[in-house]
Amino acid sequence: MALVALEIPKVGLVMENARVVRWLKNVGDEVQQGELLLELETEKSVVEIESTETGRLVEILLQADQGARVGDRIAWLENNAPSAAVAASVSPSVPGQAMATTPTPPSAHAENQTERIRSSPVARRLAAEHALELQQITGTGPRGRVQLIDVQRSLHTQAVTAGAAGAPPSLEPLSNMRRALARSVTLSNATVPQFQVERAVDWTVLNAARADLIAQLPAGTPLPTLNDFLLQGIARTLLAFAALNATFWGDANAANAGVVPAKGTHIGLVVAVTDGLLVPVFHGVESLGLVELARRRREIVERALGGRLKREELEGATFSVSNLGAGGPDRFTALVNPPQSAILAVGRQRDCVVAPGGKIQVRRMSQLTLTVDHRVADGRLASDFLAALVAILESDTLTDWKTES
Amino acid sequence: MTQTFIEILRRALDEELAQDPAVHLLGEDVAEGGAFGVTNGLARKYGAQRVRNTPISEAAITGIATGAALCGLRPVLEIMFIDFATLALDCLVNQSAKYRYMSGGQLAVPMVVRTQAGAAGGAAAQHSQSLEAWFIQIPGLVVVAPSSPVEAYGLLKSAVRLGDPVLFIEHKRLYALKEALVEGGELPQIGQARVARVGSDVTLIAYSAMVRNALEAADELARSGLSVEVIDLRTLLPLDMATIAASVSKTHRVVIAHEAVQNGGVGAEISARIGSELFDELDAPVTRVACPFAPIPFAPELERALLPGTPNIVHAVRALIG
Repeated sequence: MALVALEIPKVGLVMENARVVRWLKNVGDEVQQGELLLELETEKSVVEIESTETGRLVEILLQADQGARVGDRIAWLENNAPSAAVAASVSPSVPGQAMATTPTPPSAHAENQTERIRSSPVARRLAAEHALELQQITGTGPRGRVQLIDVQRSLHTQAVTAGAAGAPPSLEPLSNMRRALARSVTLSNATVPQFQVERAVDWTVLNAARADLIAQLPAGTPLPTLNDFLLQGIARTLLAFAALNATFWGDANAANAGVVPAKGTHIGLVVAVTDGLLVPVFHGVESLGLVELARRRREIVERALGGRLKREELEGATFSVSNLGAGGPDRFTALVNPPQSAILAVGRQRDCVVAPGGKIQVRRMSQLTLTVDHRVADGRLASDFLAALVAILESDTLTDWKTES
Repeated sequence: MTQTFIEILRRALDEELAQDPAVHLLGEDVAEGGAFGVTNGLARKYGAQRVRNTPISEAAITGIATGAALCGLRPVLEIMFIDFATLALDCLVNQSAKYRYMSGGQLAVPMVVRTQAGAAGGAAAQHSQSLEAWFIQIPGLVVVAPSSPVEAYGLLKSAVRLGDPVLFIEHKRLYALKEALVEGGELPQIGQARVARVGSDVTLIAYSAMVRNALEAADELARSGLSVEVIDLRTLLPLDMATIAASVSKTHRVVIAHEAVQNGGVGAEISARIGSELFDELDAPVTRVACPFAPIPFAPELERALLPGTPNIVHAVRALIG
């Protein structure tokens, strides 16, 4: 027994769209080769489509009134051939309009990603001009060759989709960075279920501790900033919360999905650059002192702004920090940077009236917002993580901070 | 008033004889009209000195004409069948085509070799060949192949005035064709192709009699909604790649049709140049329609079966569109 996929054949020369009028066979029916299967309405006429295979109709994928395009899979047929699933075209029963193309088995692409995609030179050129992946385009030429019209159709579909969303008719092309960012945040928003927890942090003690530390450092030493304290505090907290020091792997629906725990702590720091942002990664933060962190951060941010980050400096983080600084918002939320498990958004420092223990006072505060991949952790754990982090940041002993590596 | 291909050729020669005393005609029986009657009456009008019969020797005709051209005349000679050009090759290839180059530009050979090619009506294997591809390999020659009476008129006059040796290939199937000449038109430039029909889906390149088949095929394909652009090459050497490039950049698909065999033909040269110069424009492989690699049979039924025609072109275009 083998499953055969039936596809919409090309009827006539310019057929692009078709609509299923009605099925002449039901699921479970035995179908002979050449027997009429369904009626299809094309731009020009209604044609009866016959099966090119003999077998049992096991599944109808396109119901009456559904639209379809040439090459779309419309049904599965089970025949007696002992081979794996193959694709077959049903053929129009109109005389003189027999199918002439040989469809590619669907398994071929899936099994061999490196298989060369047949495409015409002009199709490749147009696709490259619009940064389209040939893999995403269905070729309708001989032997599945991607031709000019296939790329044009693909562009047209994009334009129609963009038009429906109210995009202006003349597009500014994306820079490579903007494109990469667009892909990354789309992936995040579309595939990662995320939630936020928030907590205020009191910087008053840390600011004083930082001033003391700086006063002790010899001249010419890179001066640690709040970000370095944050990186070290997060590293320590991550070691205590292994669930967030990990990345989610695979499709949640798949049996083989899982969580990949990280060895050591690897934290990304969001750096705004012209036309976008970069997230350079600090590896092994738990073993770095504040001075070394400050030195590395200065150096890595400088290279990030100059566009000279190395590949390994952009990979491997499980967690990121986004700090928009003194001129930033009071609070904001960030999107998890896949495949990382969480990101901390740090609001600007400001003087706030607070009443710890019933005693009204003014403290330097800011709002921390932690966004977490819900697949790896829940609200309780996220809340505990944030509480532990705040406890470290508010700790009143300078000796708790590791200054030397 | 419509005139046949032959009558229009005669008119072109008549006018050139009249306007330039250097123009002379020579060939086998040309004073009596030649094998196909093209020069009928011209000997009476211009005298035996300017319309001169020669012995039956293609080598001699070409040699005399080349010498006369070197001395300042503009001879138009007739080689009865292109099949007999084999006998004129030494002079044409080694002398006529070389003088301008080997004299450092001091000498020129302004002559036109009118000849007649192609298959029609059972002229058999020795009188039906299309040998033009041989000549496009010779630097110093110009090869012209008109597609209609009107085209032949302008191209022949331009060839006579060109100043270099021109092989002017007439197709015997076109000889009886009638067209009306538009008076006062500009003469076509040698080396410039012509867009015979504007289209957008496929570029169909042809020359000589095959242009008519290409236009018929385009008509038929138009009924299926296909828009075919037909390019009439006119000149095979030099090739007008600019016109070809403009068309291919628009249609991205090319079919080349000629009556000569496919092997090493004019189509092979065009195809190779499109492949290397216009690679990024192509949406499909360049396709050739040509004669099967066989001698032209005598039996008219077999001749018809062998020769490529309109259905072959239609089929090739449809196969290309998929």
